[in-house]
Amino acid sequence: MDRRMKLILTIVSLLVFILLLWLAESYMDPFIKRILNVAAIYVILGVSLNLINGFTGQFSLGHAGFMSLGAYASALLYMSPALKATNFFIEPIIWPLSEIQIPFFFALLVGGAIAAVAGFAVGAPCLRVGGDYLAIVTYGFAEIIRVILNNLQNITNGPLGLKGLPTYTNLYWSWGWALFTIFFIKKLVDSSYGRALKSIREDEVAAEAMGVNLFKHKTLAFVIGAFFAGIGGGLLGSLLMTIDPNSFNISLTFQIVMIVLLGGLGSITGSVVMGVSIAFLMELLRFVESPMTIFGLTIPGISGMRMLIFALILVITVIFFRRGLFGQKEFSWDWIFRSKRRNAE
Amino acid sequence: MSLLKLEHVTKRFGGLTAVSDFNLDLQEGELVGLIGPNGAGKTTIFNLITNTYLVSEGKVILGGKDITGMKTDRITAEGIARTFQNIRLFGELTALDNVRTAFHLRLKSSVLSAVFGLPGYRKEEKEIDDKAMLLLKTLGLEKYKDDLAGSLPYGLQRKLEISRALATNPKVLLLDEPAAGMNPEETLALAALIMRIRKEFNLTVLLIEHDMSLVMSICERIVVLDHGVTIARGLPKEIQNNPEVITAYLGTGDLYA
Ligand SMILES: Nc1ncnc2c1ncn2[C@@H]1O[C@H](COP(=O)(O)OP(=O)(O)O)[C@@H](O)[C@H]1O
Ligand SMILES: [Mg+2]
Repeated sequence: MDRRMKLILTIVSLLVFILLLWLAESYMDPFIKRILNVAAIYVILGVSLNLINGFTGQFSLGHAGFMSLGAYASALLYMSPALKATNFFIEPIIWPLSEIQIPFFFALLVGGAIAAVAGFAVGAPCLRVGGDYLAIVTYGFAEIIRVILNNLQNITNGPLGLKGLPTYTNLYWSWGWALFTIFFIKKLVDSSYGRALKSIREDEVAAEAMGVNLFKHKTLAFVIGAFFAGIGGGLLGSLLMTIDPNSFNISLTFQIVMIVLLGGLGSITGSVVMGVSIAFLMELLRFVESPMTIFGLTIPGISGMRMLIFALILVITVIFFRRGLFGQKEFSWDWIFRSKRRNAE
Repeated sequence: MSLLKLEHVTKRFGGLTAVSDFNLDLQEGELVGLIGPNGAGKTTIFNLITNTYLVSEGKVILGGKDITGMKTDRITAEGIARTFQNIRLFGELTALDNVRTAFHLRLKSSVLSAVFGLPGYRKEEKEIDDKAMLLLKTLGLEKYKDDLAGSLPYGLQRKLEISRALATNPKVLLLDEPAAGMNPEETLALAALIMRIRKEFNLTVLLIEHDMSLVMSICERIVVLDHGVTIARGLPKEIQNNPEVITAYLGTGDLYA
């Protein structure tokens, strides 16, 4: 199949997708819309974490930390001064944050940028440690962020969090950013820079000996991954309408790690498919947390049961399907049409 | 003209002196063999040249420039490339991508220019593609360009490692036991290959090798190492008959063992 044909197919499917978004945004029931928004955010988070963990091979557990930075930074910028005043009743918010209000889009960008700076700050010193240590250090970083958010009363409102956030997040914003994330990271990993990142994953010693600057490229992965995590956090904050320091804890990071592992380390397609699937599964499995009666035995609702089920799925995947659903494979038009033809034979 | 010079290079691992007071003056265009029994410190010398290990004492000088302690990737950019004794390819990348990766260090375009496919980047990427394909052809690997490097047979992996090293555009090529695991026929072909690329790419080569027939047939000079100490240096003929060298090799008197 030639390039032009593929381009046309891509454009047509994009148009169809936008039409579907418009239909969903206009006619779907709010409950489904909410899941679809969460799905887009999971896609953003999964794909961006995959850049760090899957393509560059640096096992990071810091994603929730980057998300919280994005969520707080953007919320503090798009909230109206009046809303801030009602939120910060224990201790007023510091100037100039008390006065500033900028449009949602720019607030998101600033949130992403702040997360990216944090990505650099974590990534750079972490380069000396590898493997398991990196996981611990990045997890520690996310915890530190949480503690800081809890204690900066006059900037973050401390443990009270931010409430009544305006819901700017809709399907256009969330899926628009999801598509951009997919585009950006796909183009990146297919480029010369992407090959350098993958070479680090494959063999650091050899990569460096072939002239790949380890410091530059590992921080690059962290900065870009953190940027999109910050955007995802900003979108999620405005969708949930409430954020507090504990909204972004290790169990959120765990969910995103799960999306990446189940989809396949190094497969963007995998992260997209699993991001959407997990968003729906989380809702479908809600029933397991409500009280139920089995063979006359009444079990009270146990919150956290869903995570237990996911943990089980994850353990089974890691043991029996190490490469996840897609391994390192990616969706492509060639692949679709080839498999169609094979089926026809 | 002297191209690569090692002056009084010493490496200690804790109490063990893996390389002691090693000196080498590689002239431009030369092909020098570095031999010695297992554990003599040969690979360590490669690691010291590329600063994969930091030298304990001494200097490494490339073309008059002191590169001691320079970062490994910078040293590669300065013109030293290597292969590894226990092959270190990027196993999950294709043969073509292995070679293309080694061109990355000369890329000028920015990340954003790469992501958005700006003309400047597209031009560079096209050049990388062409050069990488040419290199694969030179080494007879073009058929395998889309195969994962890790799935190639051993002999081809060794060749692919050489083409990847060549892609960094080196002045000095360090080959660490390139004939390991090859049969006599393949070794013969490898000798021809080394001679050919040396000429084609204007290389100066430092070769670690166990296969004496290979070393004796293509090296112009040989340095012999034992327990980190240089025990002999000279022409292949001289080395062959050097009693100290013969003793170092198990004392069997048979260099071809
Ligand atoms: N990273 C290291 N740490 C400690 N000892 C090492 C290290 N690398 C090599 N050595 C030791 O240095 C000596 C020389 O090793 P090496 O250079 O690999 O030998 P050769 O390549 O000549 O077979 C050996 O005794 C080896 O155990
Ligand atoms: Mg060795």
